[in-house]
Amino acid sequence: MVKIIVNGREVEADPKKPLIKACHDNGADVPMYCYHPGLEPVGSCRICQVEVKQGDAPARVMVACRTQPAEGMVVDTESPKAHATRKECLEFLLKNHPLDCPICDKAGECDLQDFTYAEGQDAGRTNEPRRELDKRKSLGDTIVLDQERCILCSRCVRFFEEVPKQAQLTVSDLGSRSVIATFMDRPLKGKYQGNIADLCPVGALTLKKFRFQARVWNLVKMASTCGECSRGCSTTVEVLRGADVKRMRPRENEAVNKFWMCDIGRFSFDRHNRSGRLQGAAVREGVQLVPYPVEEALTRLRDELMREKSGAWILSPWLTIEEGERIKAVAERLGHAVCFVSPAPNSEKDDLLHTGDPCPNRRGLSELGIPAAPVAQALEALRGVKSAVLIGERIVELLGAGELAKVDATKTRVHLVDEYALDIPCVLSVYGVANCVERTGTWVRSRPSRHRRWARARLPS
Amino acid sequence: MSQTERYLLTRANIEGAHQLAVAEKNGAYEALRKVLKEGIPYSTVIDEVKKSGLRGRGGAGFSTGMKWTFMPDPAKDPRPRYLAVNADESEPGTCKDRVIMQRDPHGFVEGVLLAAYAIRAQAAYIYVRGEYRLPHDRVKAAIEEARAKNLVGKNILGSDFSCEVYMHRGGGAYICGEETGLMESLEGKRGHPRPKPPFPAMFGLWGQPTTVNNVETVFNVPFIMNRGSAWFASLGTANSKGNFLCGISGHVNKPGVYEFSFGITAKEILEQHAGGMWKGRGLKAWFPGGSSCSLLKGSDIDVVLDHDSLRARGSSLGTAAMIMIDDHTSMARVMEIISRFYDHESCGQCSQCREGTQWLSQIFRRIAHGKGKADDVATLEALAKGMAPGKTICALSDAAAIPTLSAVRLFKDELIECVTRQADPLAVPQPHYAVAGGHH
Repeated sequence: MVKIIVNGREVEADPKKPLIKACHDNGADVPMYCYHPGLEPVGSCRICQVEVKQGDAPARVMVACRTQPAEGMVVDTESPKAHATRKECLEFLLKNHPLDCPICDKAGECDLQDFTYAEGQDAGRTNEPRRELDKRKSLGDTIVLDQERCILCSRCVRFFEEVPKQAQLTVSDLGSRSVIATFMDRPLKGKYQGNIADLCPVGALTLKKFRFQARVWNLVKMASTCGECSRGCSTTVEVLRGADVKRMRPRENEAVNKFWMCDIGRFSFDRHNRSGRLQGAAVREGVQLVPYPVEEALTRLRDELMREKSGAWILSPWLTIEEGERIKAVAERLGHAVCFVSPAPNSEKDDLLHTGDPCPNRRGLSELGIPAAPVAQALEALRGVKSAVLIGERIVELLGAGELAKVDATKTRVHLVDEYALDIPCVLSVYGVANCVERTGTWVRSRPSRHRRWARARLPS
Repeated sequence: MSQTERYLLTRANIEGAHQLAVAEKNGAYEALRKVLKEGIPYSTVIDEVKKSGLRGRGGAGFSTGMKWTFMPDPAKDPRPRYLAVNADESEPGTCKDRVIMQRDPHGFVEGVLLAAYAIRAQAAYIYVRGEYRLPHDRVKAAIEEARAKNLVGKNILGSDFSCEVYMHRGGGAYICGEETGLMESLEGKRGHPRPKPPFPAMFGLWGQPTTVNNVETVFNVPFIMNRGSAWFASLGTANSKGNFLCGISGHVNKPGVYEFSFGITAKEILEQHAGGMWKGRGLKAWFPGGSSCSLLKGSDIDVVLDHDSLRARGSSLGTAAMIMIDDHTSMARVMEIISRFYDHESCGQCSQCREGTQWLSQIFRRIAHGKGKADDVATLEALAKGMAPGKTICALSDAAAIPTLSAVRLFKDELIECVTRQADPLAVPQPHYAVAGGHH
């Protein structure tokens, strides 16, 4: 570590990391387009100009992303010269930018917009026609490219080269004719495409699933954790007006997912937006399930379970450790069996993030001493008891509605706590439950072993 | 000032000098033989070149011997090391390297080998401008002839010096003549210049220590080794030593590539060698060293051609490619053409250059076509100041800004007149393609 001075304050900086990182870490808001902390710096957009003084040499304005901190360096990010250079650079960046912010999905979280408001000039000088290019070029199933908005920072190109290590994009042609392109216009592939929409500092790369869905300032953003595999990537869940989840995006976490997440997790919000959720409780009366006051239904359930010695609690691996701990205590007091469903690994495992294990809290529940039961074993446990509680989101999905329908209703009474009702003879009562974007709790990641609490992003729908 | 001695093009002017037999009869490979047979250490070669005062002929004019010393000590840094020879001569006005490669390829190959010897490179890569078909073929044939006589390849002339020489033809991008763009292109990537540091001497071709030299620069080395640094230093002026190739083009009677010692005046070159301005016209303006340097007025023709004198006049020697412009020519049109070139050739990495070169080109185009706006000339100046100096990864942005600034400084009235009259008084009817089509 070296000691440098950033805006008058002495700070420690890592000489192996670019100067812009030391500036950001110490509260200096240096703009950036081509630089991204998760990618190698290339120094091409030239916006991160700061004034640097080293030794007796006169102060120079230089790009902070390609400057290494050195002992005794004095950095002024707010000097008039630095401001003037950045202002100049912004004018060039805006030369061909369409300024279609009113219809741009990025507006409100756009670096070009933000930094222009912060220190750009208030009126453009260009009278020239702007570049006319493809405004909605599909790059496959996930991404749409607006070539006119693109400022050619090349973050997306470098993302594929450096993170999944499969180059798919390039800058083609030269100079002011440059455009982002795939080889022979082939569609993008792989499950990390969504990240380039996050990386894009302007609205050039947008998610097909987010285009024209919401103005970003109307989204309520909550820190959360992805539940699609045991990695548990840190995420932000973004909800529009307390209803639909419109976006799930990675949240920086150096130890787990850095700046990235896979498209399986990213687009898992579709599941949370499905209609037909079970509200309250329903109890079987005769041949059908009828809505029932929750308190009364629970009282009936409690009475039944306290009487019944032959019982089993079958848990969803989406349950939190807080939930698991309480359920286990109750089951043990009643002398009932308890286990959580452990589905087989899926084929999504890769070298980057996805672990292939679909259970987000396998480790947490196992550490509580709750045994993992493969699907067949869990169904076996269910058939062997007189009363069973299936509890937690996706529990029906894991066990299979078809398999559950085969359970003999005359032998086993099933009580279901899930997001959706399942009307089959053996199910005597059902209770709606909050899913992982609607409640707060803790999962334990497969690795590194860190508890991951997340917050409720919306009320159960 | 009179011409004292010529050496660069002596062999080139001999019929058939591109063939080994003719070239050897006229002194080719003598310096290489001398160095290898006498076992002159590489450090002596570097010292000689340093003492000679040879400066790079690719435009920047940096001391060649000094550049070679930037290579790390092979005892401490055992990585492979390379010489890259920049033969991607694409600057408008510059055409001197073509003459060397086409007419004296063996002299050039000898220079390449001596430079490689000095920096202890085991391979040399010659990056030839793609359009230079004949020069490429001649040098390639020369390498093969030389290889057959053990002048290229393993254990050259029985010594322990081995050096392979490879040719590479460029794909037609000006930016690949920028040394780091050239290296990227050689590596098979897009010719996007790399930010410096790291410098090529530490992190060059494939990340290994590399020196990039111009064709004419290495071509001078055999002469220095043959005749000594003192002889070389006796030619030229205080800080610009030796002879140089001057490509003179534009509105002159005898355009061509000529050899002079530094210290000759531009006036003498124009009047006594290039046959004066054509059609008896006057000299309005000229570029002393290719289109990337500042324009000079016709009255500056009395300047002595060397690095210091041109700097004193606010321009630079560049590649000594003089482009002469007569007094019937519209400067708006000249700058339209020049700025269009830079717009076309910017690699597009840096914002200022990508957008700025296009912007300059659009404004000059409008002015030249009678569609100028009142603040255009002021905008040109502001934009050019935003593009240079040193604001971008490489110097292409500067190369577009420098002639613009000089045009605005020297010919402001003319440009403003084009704007106020909404017509270029000096315009000549343009062929159709100049208005329609193009890349915009």
